[in-house]
Formats: sequence, structure tokens, C-alpha cells
Amino acid sequence: MTLIREPGPAPAPPGRRLPSATVWLTLAVLAAAHVLAWQGTGFSLTALAQGWRGMASFLGDALPPDFDWETVLQPSLKAAAVTLYIGLLGTTLSIPFALVLAVLAARVTAYGTTSYQAARSLLSFLRSVPDVVFALIFVTAVGLGPFAGVLALVVHNTGVMGKLWAEAMEESDPGPREAMRVLGASRLQTALHAVLPTVLPQLVGLLLYRFDVNVRASLVLGLVGAGGIGFLINQSIKLFRFDQMATHILVVLVLVIAVDQLSALIRRRIAP
Amino acid sequence: MTLRVRGLRKEFGGRTVLDGLDLDVAPGEFTAVLGANGSGKSTALRCVVGLETPTAGEIEVDGRAAMVFQKIHLVGRRSALDNVCAGALARLPLRRSLSPLLFPRTLREEAMACLDRVGLADRAAEPASRLSGGQQQRVAIARALCQRSTLLLADEPVSALDPKAAEQVVALLAALALDGLAVVAVLHQPSLARHHAGRIVGLLDGRLDLDAPASAVTDHDVDRLYAPDRAAVPAE
Ligand SMILES: Nc1ncnc2c1ncn2[C@@H]1O[C@H](COP(=O)(O)OP(=O)(O)OP(=O)(O)O)[C@@H](O)[C@H]1O
Ligand SMILES: [Mg+2]
Repeated sequence: MTLIREPGPAPAPPGRRLPSATVWLTLAVLAAAHVLAWQGTGFSLTALAQGWRGMASFLGDALPPDFDWETVLQPSLKAAAVTLYIGLLGTTLSIPFALVLAVLAARVTAYGTTSYQAARSLLSFLRSVPDVVFALIFVTAVGLGPFAGVLALVVHNTGVMGKLWAEAMEESDPGPREAMRVLGASRLQTALHAVLPTVLPQLVGLLLYRFDVNVRASLVLGLVGAGGIGFLINQSIKLFRFDQMATHILVVLVLVIAVDQLSALIRRRIAP
Repeated sequence: MTLRVRGLRKEFGGRTVLDGLDLDVAPGEFTAVLGANGSGKSTALRCVVGLETPTAGEIEVDGRAAMVFQKIHLVGRRSALDNVCAGALARLPLRRSLSPLLFPRTLREEAMACLDRVGLADRAAEPASRLSGGQQQRVAIARALCQRSTLLLADEPVSALDPKAAEQVVALLAALALDGLAVVAVLHQPSLARHHAGRIVGLLDGRLDLDAPASAVTDHDVDRLYAPDRAAVPAE
């Protein structure tokens, strides 16, 4: 190989490659899936057009929102605080469980095949059962109210956050881990002194992201009776008080935006 | 002998990377390893510390082997001192080893002495990431000392450092050898090797092609390691 050559035209670039048969096949399968989905969900523009009347009267009932302090706004704010509390506890109380499972389920820190497989399966299970389903189960166990919501979030969030944390650990720089191996550190010591300190900013970032998601999830949990402002929204719909519902939704909007901004702000601050 | 290697072979998927390596390193000896990219230097060192399993051959270490890397591998957010203390993890009782907060006082004192040996006692409390590259490499060397090692392997410890920091680090390795440590360092700067090391070994395609006192190594010896096909042509 020589890098010094006579001046002259460079060789012509290779010809363009057309999309392969695989690409065409993928597109065809995707198109077919959309046709099936359109039929399977009864997607109908005519039904939507006919329904506009109902929508309009619904909006008419909802506007203007009922901002009465005693009966609507104050209870709404109190319930919004409960929603926030559910999201907070649902996130923080799952930290120890998620951490232990993540360490066991990350290939770079796992203890052995059995506990690795067990932790992986448990995390998948907790993740694949929706938090609403856990809420319905806990409502029957501990009764209606925010406590059931907290339990549901703790359980589901352990699954999601444990998986995200395990992935972050697996993607951590292998260098510090090798250094630990050379100096004879055990697996636990390697996790504590090489992996966790290196990925801490990522773990905190994911924690804040989950807090954000969990506050929104706790709204939905309220709809099935697990306390918070979701419960009030459900009630106002049942009583056809759409003007009160509109107030609750505005409060929710403010809450969600505030939490979103706050967690984005902190995440920017701790970025590695 | 601190290190005794006999017939070390390593294959990766049928490809021979180390082809029967013999090497003895005595206490207090500073051996520099030269060799072209891919000649098997890193693999040899990794076999010695157990990061790779040899295909065949014998490796004996009298005492403990430590290793420092080109990409240093400290925990950036922890202090220099905490990083050095980690060198002792293998001999700490489990419950005192779980967090830097639990490290025994005697260990912190020992680690401080190690930091002092590499000239960084005044930076002990600083997060490792705030130190310069050369200082970080010296912290990694202090960690190796805190491991109470008898053999220090260094894989391109100065390839990412500026010339002055590189000179400092290699001089430090030479000084540690004078203390009695056996040092084996892969270097890509033949001049540094000749100036500081006592002995130079050269790897060529997984074999030892050169093994001589640093003062006896000629330019021609070095050229042959890096451009074997050209050096094979008889000189005019
Ligand atoms: N884990 C591995 N799997 C497969 N091949 C490997 C592996 N590690 C090293 N090799 C191969 O072994 C050969 C020797 O690699 P090694 O890293 O030991 O060389 P080196 O002398 O340290 O080179 P450099 O100067 O580039 O660091 C190379 O061809 C490399 O591709
Ligand atoms: Mg190498």
C-alpha cells in the first residue's frame, strides 16, 4: 500500500444500491398489518363525523370550568397533591427492590446463572403486568384509596426501573470492571466500587424519568379507585359535572407540566 | 524470580496470537516491552493477570500482580484516595469493604503513603476526574502499590499522555523498580524505554524477538520489530 500517488482523476465511485428485496418485503408486511389493524379496531371516519354533535355538547357542558374554591378547586388541589405523593412514594419505595434486582439481572454484576435468570424473569413479569391491573388487585386487598395506588406503582415500577438500571449497568465502561478483577475484588465489590459509581448519573436520570411517568400513571390509577385526582375526575364524569371535570383536568395539566419541567431541570444538572 | 513465564500460547478462534513465550522478570527489574500493533503485548500481560486464559503454558507470579492500563480506569467521581484504597479490596473483611465510608483508618493511612510515593499526597481529596491524565495514571499506580503487589504490569501507560507527563510516569516506574518492584511496561516510545528501562524485550508475531539490556539495544533492533519485512532486506 502506498499513500503517495501521481496526480490524476480518482476512480469513479461505486454505483448506487437499490433497496433490497428484504426492504420491500418489510414494507409490504407493514402495509398489510395496517389494513388488518384498521379493520380490527373498527376505525371509521364516518362514526367520527357523526359523533361531533356529542363532542360539542360535552364541550358546552365543560366550559366554563367550575372554579368554586370550597367545592371544586380546593378539593382538586388536595387530590392533586395526593396524586403527586402516590407518584413519589411509588418511585422511591421501589428503589431498593429495583437496585437489588438490577444488580442480579445485569450480566456484568450477576452472581450466577440461577439468580440471573430468576431476576430477569421477575423483572419481566412485574413489567408486563400493567400498573392498573396491580392497582385493581391491591384495591381489593387494602381497599379503595391512595395506599393501593402506591403499592401498585412500587410493584410495577420495580420491574421497569430494574430493567432500565440493569441495561445502564451492562452498558457501563468495562475498564473499571477489569481493573477490579485484576486487583481481586469480588463481584459484589466490583458492583459497589466500579459499576455503580460509574453509572450513578444515568441511574438518577432514569429515576427522575420514572418519577415523571409515575405521577402521570397515578392519575390513571385514581380512575380505578386508587385515590388522587384521577378519582375526582372519575366521579365528576359519573355525576355529569363536566364543568368540574374541566377544572380537575386543568389542575392535572399544571401538575404534569411542573413535574416534567422539574425532572428535566434536575436531569440536566446531573448530566455526567 | 517475580515472574516466570514458560511456553505461553494464546489462540483466539484458532488464530495464534502468542506463540510460545518465555520470560523471567526479577525483583527490581524494569523491563520495557516493544512491538508492533497486534504483536500480542496486551494479550501477554492480560494472561499474566488472569484477564485472559492461556491456551497453553505456565505462568508463575511470586506475590501479587497489579496492572495499569492506557485508559487508566479510575472511578472519576471518587477521590484519588478512595481510588487508591480500592487496591486493598481483596484483603479487606467484606463488611469494611462495602463503601469508602467503611474503609479502616489504617487502610486510609496506607493509601496515603502510596499516594505520597507517586507525589500526589496533596491531591488526595480531589475527585479523580479533576486530575490531569498524568496524575490519574500515577493514582492508578498508587492503587497498584496499595494492592501490595510485587509485580506491576503496565499496558501502554503513557500512550495517552503528553511528552512531559509520559516522561514523569516512566521515571516513576523506574524509581519503583529501584524500590524492588518488578515492572513490566509496554511502551510505544523506544527512546523512553532505552532511557529508563533496564531491559528491553521485543515481541514479533507472538514470539520474543529481542531480549537485551536497554543499553545494548540498537536502532536496527528496534526497526526490525516495527518493520520486519523491510528489515529483512539485506542492507547495502
Ligand atoms: N479478545 C480477543 N478476541 C479476538 N482476537 C483478539 C482478542 N484480543 C486480541 N486479539 C487479537 O490478538 C492480536 C494481538 O492483540 P494485542 O492486543 O495483544 O496486540 P498488542 O501488541 O497489544 O497491539 P497494540 O500495540 O495495538 O496494543 C491482535 O491481532 C488482536 O486482534
Ligand atoms: Mg495493546
